[in-house]
Amino acid sequence: MSPTIHAEGALLEVEDLRVAFAVGGREVRAVDGISYAVEPGRTLAIIGESGSGKTVGCRAIMGLLPTGTQVSGSARLRGTELIGLSDAQLRKHRGSDMAMVFQDPARSLNPTMKVGKQITEAIQTHRKVGKTEAREQAIELLRLVRIPAPERRFHEYPHQLSGGMRQRVVIAIALACQPKLLIADEATTALDVTTQAQIMELLLELQHDMDMALIFISHDLGLAASYADEVVVMYAGKIVEQAPAKQLFGAGGTVKMRYTRALLDAIPHLERPAHTELPVVTGRPPDPTSLPVGCSFAPRCPSAADDCTAKAPVLTEHAPGHRWACWHPCENGGAA
Amino acid sequence: MAAQLPDMTTTVLPPQPSLPSLVSSRRLRSQKIARALRLWVPAGILIALLFICFVWPYIYTIPPGDTGSILDSSLPPFSPGHWLGTDANGVDIFAMLVYGGQVSFEIALAVTAIGIVVGGVLGLTAGYFGSWADSFLSRIFDVLIAFPALVLVLAVAEVLGPSEMHLIWALTAFSIPAQARVFRGATMVVRQSPFIAAARLSGTGNWKIIFRHVLPNVIPGIITFSLLGIGIIVILEGAVDFLGLGIQIPQPSWGAMIAKGQNVLTATPQYVLIPSIVLLIFVMALNLLGDALRERWGVR
Amino acid sequence: MALVQQIQLQRDPGARSQIARRVTGSPALQLVGRRLLTAIPVLLGVTFLTFVVMNLIPGNPAQLILGINASPQAIAKLDAQLGLDHPFWDRYWIWLDGLLHGNLGIAYSNQQSVNSIIAQYLPTTCWLLLYALVGALVLGIIVAVLAARRPNGIFDRISLAVSMIGLSFAPYALALCVGWLFAVKLGWFHIIDNSLGNNPITAIKNLTLPAVSIGFGLFSVYSRLLRADIIEQMEREDYIVTAKAKGVAPWRVLVVHATKNSLFTLITLVALNLGTLIGAVAIIEPIFSLPGIGAELINAININDLPLIEGIVVVFALVTVAGNLIADLLYTVLDPRIRYGRSAS
Repeated sequence: MSPTIHAEGALLEVEDLRVAFAVGGREVRAVDGISYAVEPGRTLAIIGESGSGKTVGCRAIMGLLPTGTQVSGSARLRGTELIGLSDAQLRKHRGSDMAMVFQDPARSLNPTMKVGKQITEAIQTHRKVGKTEAREQAIELLRLVRIPAPERRFHEYPHQLSGGMRQRVVIAIALACQPKLLIADEATTALDVTTQAQIMELLLELQHDMDMALIFISHDLGLAASYADEVVVMYAGKIVEQAPAKQLFGAGGTVKMRYTRALLDAIPHLERPAHTELPVVTGRPPDPTSLPVGCSFAPRCPSAADDCTAKAPVLTEHAPGHRWACWHPCENGGAA
Repeated sequence: MAAQLPDMTTTVLPPQPSLPSLVSSRRLRSQKIARALRLWVPAGILIALLFICFVWPYIYTIPPGDTGSILDSSLPPFSPGHWLGTDANGVDIFAMLVYGGQVSFEIALAVTAIGIVVGGVLGLTAGYFGSWADSFLSRIFDVLIAFPALVLVLAVAEVLGPSEMHLIWALTAFSIPAQARVFRGATMVVRQSPFIAAARLSGTGNWKIIFRHVLPNVIPGIITFSLLGIGIIVILEGAVDFLGLGIQIPQPSWGAMIAKGQNVLTATPQYVLIPSIVLLIFVMALNLLGDALRERWGVR
Repeated sequence: MALVQQIQLQRDPGARSQIARRVTGSPALQLVGRRLLTAIPVLLGVTFLTFVVMNLIPGNPAQLILGINASPQAIAKLDAQLGLDHPFWDRYWIWLDGLLHGNLGIAYSNQQSVNSIIAQYLPTTCWLLLYALVGALVLGIIVAVLAARRPNGIFDRISLAVSMIGLSFAPYALALCVGWLFAVKLGWFHIIDNSLGNNPITAIKNLTLPAVSIGFGLFSVYSRLLRADIIEQMEREDYIVTAKAKGVAPWRVLVVHATKNSLFTLITLVALNLGTLIGAVAIIEPIFSLPGIGAELINAININDLPLIEGIVVVFALVTVAGNLIADLLYTVLDPRIRYGRSAS
């Protein structure tokens, strides 16, 4: 019997979400049974390499996957089941209760539509407001995301704005109807480091002000360490480690899963002696059409043993609030 | 402080049965069959038409396409000995289609070949070397393209006088700039590729690069364009014949057949309909084949 | 689509890079100016080529006019009269000079000025082309949008099949088949004795079949290209996903976002196809006995009236070049990226 994950007061509960699609005659299990929950006002970081299924999972929740994709499992937003809803029903939630910010602001905005219009469109899709009022709300939103001279920017086109400003516009669009859940899919990857920090700070401030739940998807563990409350690490479509950020990264941090450990070790540290070889994770992510039996990470894991390749470890809560899926987890600390 | 997860010390999530398989082999097979049909049906039609025009008359005697006996004039289709009927002069319609087809194919092939060779050299030069060679050549192409194709061909045909050879020259006035543009465009795209830069850096001569690296990558696009181009040329040639400025009677041609049928359209529409439909099938087969090849070779 | 890429490449690749420069004057004006400049050698080339080709005709025009039995003195006299005794370059210059002043010469056949002949027959042709073009565009856009709504659905497949036929049907053959079907069999239209008459209803009636003959092919090209472009936008562009993520209804995403952006490609295609459009009248008008420029051209060719042929051909070519130019300008004006240039802050 599958136990349900019931978190009291959770905003989003995802349970055993699976996404599969067919590519060139083979089945790809992009997401292979993931479960997590997010509360209002909390930040969840989903970390993983490309192809780990982190983006696909969230798009499945939003209903933004192409037709022909099969989704099963459960994703409940404030108790409302999202998986299995028709597109028309899902649309009511998209942009109003839950919103998404994407990676490349240069391409996420319609190049031939004025910035202001793109925001008012988001407003007027869900609320019955007149043109003037929508315009005022849009300008307020631009102000909220700290764009200077919002009244002027309202009438400009995306290419007239810098990268950082464009991303702020995308955030403004996402916030147009005060969503309870904001998903940021690699929202800062395409920006330079300074802008990255600014955008992350902005997101967190807005989250705090609007009491939103924030999920941010990234491959950058550093971001997770700095900004997240809870971290989920994904590999080959499954969750391999899940814990509050402090437990993973804080002093005396207890990273258990080998993969997470490897990701952490691959971040250059100032404290390491000069010219130490950077321990990168060897190998490549597995081919999603032919996943190995047993632990998906085993081919690349330095401590893989026979039982790792024989049987896949199951995600288990071995310590309070901390789950991992590994037969031979790291001992405490264990920095390289 | 931790996100609230169930208050159990061990939460075991047993492996779930997988989703029903998305990939039904039956669906895949029917997709593959459809894809093969899209290629081979038009190819088959073209081969059949070519066979009828070039091989059949040597296997099985057919009546001449330019003369006929008055006794046999205006026979309807399905008459004995003339399965498509005869025209007002007793000339067999089927024979006219066959011989007219021969001429049209020959002209189209010749024009396309000349277009590819001459236009190819010009287009490759313009696309590869760029700068003033490109500007100069492009202006020339622009001038030629500015004339509507039919008008250009008519003008040249008019100047040279009506005959098959002159018709070929006239049609190349359209084909050469058209092919040159395609070559130029494709060359410019390929030129940006890293392997071209590598070849240049290693000191390979320009023309060697063009023939060994650029050309093979440009060929699929040329083939698909040429298939389309042959259709256009046949239609253009038909138009010139239609106006009486191309292949002269008594030599048969599809365009002339259609033109002659105009006057008796009300009474005997088949003189117009039959060659029109044959022309339509031929060009459609070319277009469909071009589309199928484009799909298969990934030419965009 | 090969066509889309060809279009994008044939647009002068250097022009866009100029836009990034911040110079006095709007970048749009810069592009306009540049385009006009490149058009001039083309226009000159067009006039030159026309003149060269027309004057290659073997035989003496004066003789052709006067006939075989004319005396040498009569020929010489007509030669001088027509200005044929001047050397080639002089004649070209005289003709070009006349052209620049709007004078296209005198027709051999009836001694009328070529200008007046063209002016006489131009309106019919213009109405015909307008009818064909507007019809093809409107239908093409509607069908493309409906087809793109559900790619590979029933409507899409049918529209692709129909447009494949339209692409492959020779206009003259189509004209006759359609004429037979609707005029002869169904009696809805006439195919002889067509002039525009005095009232719009007659005009529309008489122009419908010819317009369909030209327009069907155009419709096929437009609908296919637009459909392909829209589908590509819907499947590949990130801003479409953003729009969907906002909760915008699918129809609105399709029409307001994707189609609007695809219309740019369509405009370019219309311009590039202008030549084919114009050229088609040369064959369609005679079939339906429409008193237009195309029919006049064919007449002129049949009686070897050189100045008239020259005049009409040059007008055709110049209009095509002008059309391309206008389309380029339209593109500039409509695409906000070009109009407003880059102004990062």
